[in-house]
Amino acid sequence: MKTTIPRHIKFGLIALGLGFAITLGLFVDVIGRIQALMPDKKEVEENPFTPPKAPLYSQTDPPMQVKIFFPGSEAGDVILFAEDLMIFRSAELANRAKQVLQKVLEGPTTQGLFPSVPKDTKLLEVFIDDAGVAYVDFSDPLSANHPGGMLNEQATVYSIVNSLTYNLPEIRHVKILVGGAEKETLAGHLLLLPLEMDLSITNVMKPQEQVAHAN
Amino acid sequence: MKRAVTVLVLATLTVALFYGQRLSAADTDFPIYFENSTLALKSQTIDKTTYLPLADIVKHMNLAYTDATAALTFTIQGQNSRLTLTPGSAFISLNDRPVLLQNPIRHDNGQWLVPLDFLSQGLSRVSGIEFRYRPGDLRVFAGGATPAELVMNAQSLGSTTRLTLRTGSRIEVEVQRDAAQHRAVLLLKGKPIDPGLERLDYKDRLVQSIAFEDSDGVARIVIGTTDDVRDVRITAAEENRVFFADFVGETVTEAAPAPIAPTAAGTPAKPDATPLNANVRVIVIDAGHGGIDNGASNATTLEKDVTLALARRLRTALQSRLAASVVLTRDADVVLTSEARAEVANNNQAGLFISLHVGYSPNKTDPGSSIFVMKGDFYTGSAAQTSGQQLFLPWYLAYRTSQQASHALASTLQQDLNQTLPGWKFPMRAGPVGVLASLTMPAVAIELGNLNNDVSSQTLLDPAFQTKVATTIAAAIEKFAETGTGARGQ
Repeated sequence: MKTTIPRHIKFGLIALGLGFAITLGLFVDVIGRIQALMPDKKEVEENPFTPPKAPLYSQTDPPMQVKIFFPGSEAGDVILFAEDLMIFRSAELANRAKQVLQKVLEGPTTQGLFPSVPKDTKLLEVFIDDAGVAYVDFSDPLSANHPGGMLNEQATVYSIVNSLTYNLPEIRHVKILVGGAEKETLAGHLLLLPLEMDLSITNVMKPQEQVAHAN
Repeated sequence: MKRAVTVLVLATLTVALFYGQRLSAADTDFPIYFENSTLALKSQTIDKTTYLPLADIVKHMNLAYTDATAALTFTIQGQNSRLTLTPGSAFISLNDRPVLLQNPIRHDNGQWLVPLDFLSQGLSRVSGIEFRYRPGDLRVFAGGATPAELVMNAQSLGSTTRLTLRTGSRIEVEVQRDAAQHRAVLLLKGKPIDPGLERLDYKDRLVQSIAFEDSDGVARIVIGTTDDVRDVRITAAEENRVFFADFVGETVTEAAPAPIAPTAAGTPAKPDATPLNANVRVIVIDAGHGGIDNGASNATTLEKDVTLALARRLRTALQSRLAASVVLTRDADVVLTSEARAEVANNNQAGLFISLHVGYSPNKTDPGSSIFVMKGDFYTGSAAQTSGQQLFLPWYLAYRTSQQASHALASTLQQDLNQTLPGWKFPMRAGPVGVLASLTMPAVAIELGNLNNDVSSQTLLDPAFQTKVATTIAAAIEKFAETGTGARGQ
């Protein structure tokens, strides 16, 4: 015996099927639109149209010895130890500052010294004003991934401040920014106001005193 | 039929919305403070403008006036001048010369209404009395009425909530409690009050709301309280320029923080307690970090927990030794800014501040401990601040008032800690420490151990060790307080 589906049910099923198809189509369309709105990470990272970064120094710039300060085993007042490294004396002060900070971010090469900034920290920008205040902008990990501790925070802050002010006398104060914005402290301890060089916590004397000492 | 009803309802609502604002002239209390009297008025808000009844003001000031109902003009006669108002016009006539107001004069239901700027643009010129008001405020000060500016501040001190009132001049404060109504009223007498803020955004277990009120010309602070409030105490300080209103909660085991006045109740007076330098009556202990700010950490230990445990032990140790009251900046796992911590000490006129921290060094073998004081020459040579050129110093230089005393406190602590904790060294260091910068009393930060070192972090968790540290610090504080170097403002 042949079973026949009643006509009204047939129409009902067709209508249901059509409705389902339309809904599905709309859903796919909406998903597509949302995805189109979201920035494509890969494309942003590998965008071939970003302008090439200007080099921090040219082939003809003479080399220049700098002292970069890193924390080591604390000994009394000394918490930062100088490491002699080379940069190139580029014409622009900001480029020299960027090279110094690059050395700070790369960390020490000497055994017994420790990196002063969290591993993933990147240097975003350096700006130096007429009064000799260097505004140095680091990425968020400088603060977010900092392990804390007051002394440790002092080591991080003054590793940056002293490395800049000792090697580049034009820079008199250093103001640290994080992620493009002002922050009160890195990890809850030290005020990030424009800070001066503090060699009392290092194993190095002031450049002029050094000369006087040698004579 | 149904549709007709819906449309009708919607139309009515729209009309009501549109005209509601114009029709409802909400009455608000609005006092005018004169030199020797106060006039409580009802102001009306019409078209977003505050209007005052003119006749009441003129009568109170004893000015001659004529209200010509037929001609619809209102004339005020001063000594050498005459002011004429006509309804609906923003122009008023002063000695027959027009003066333009921002809003028109109104004459509603037989009552003359003037906008606020009429007081300064018109009435002050004809009466010779100056009117002062801030836009948005619901009060006016006239002539020689010099208001006392009021600053309110509230904070929780464990079982007590303290409301601090500061005024520029001397006033009297009287408490009225209404436990059934869940409120306490502080009457502020002696001077008209100009509050910086009408209400304080503060709420805790004891206090629900804090609001300034002077609608009838009597200045008062109305505090909504909870059932937990057992007592309200008022203490005056600084010749009645500062008042502490303490809302004392249920747990009376811990004494209320002692106010500054020597007669203050609540100081746990130990019979054998050391008679203290009069300036170290309140000691503030700051447990570092808290809340979302864990501080330094290792796999098992968070700095914020250790500092809180140490702070509590230090409080116990101090209370059993000294006749001083001890206040913690935080007695729970809450986040606080450096400024908020400093505020607790500054507001309570503390004589001494100790911030407790735990160290962390990338070098596992570092001992880590230090005693920090504020860096002395911090920010002096900066381009932003040259001495002599600046009238006001920024708050983060407040530490300078007690720099020497802070150093004395630090070296006393250093000596005692080095002595009682064999193998632990506490070098004295100076840095731009945020929590110490805005403090006006001797202040140090103690950093203990190295959380990156297994032995050190194990020791830090040992209750016996914590008690030993607390007792040592308490003993050093006692020594310091006795020598008298702890004076405020040195």
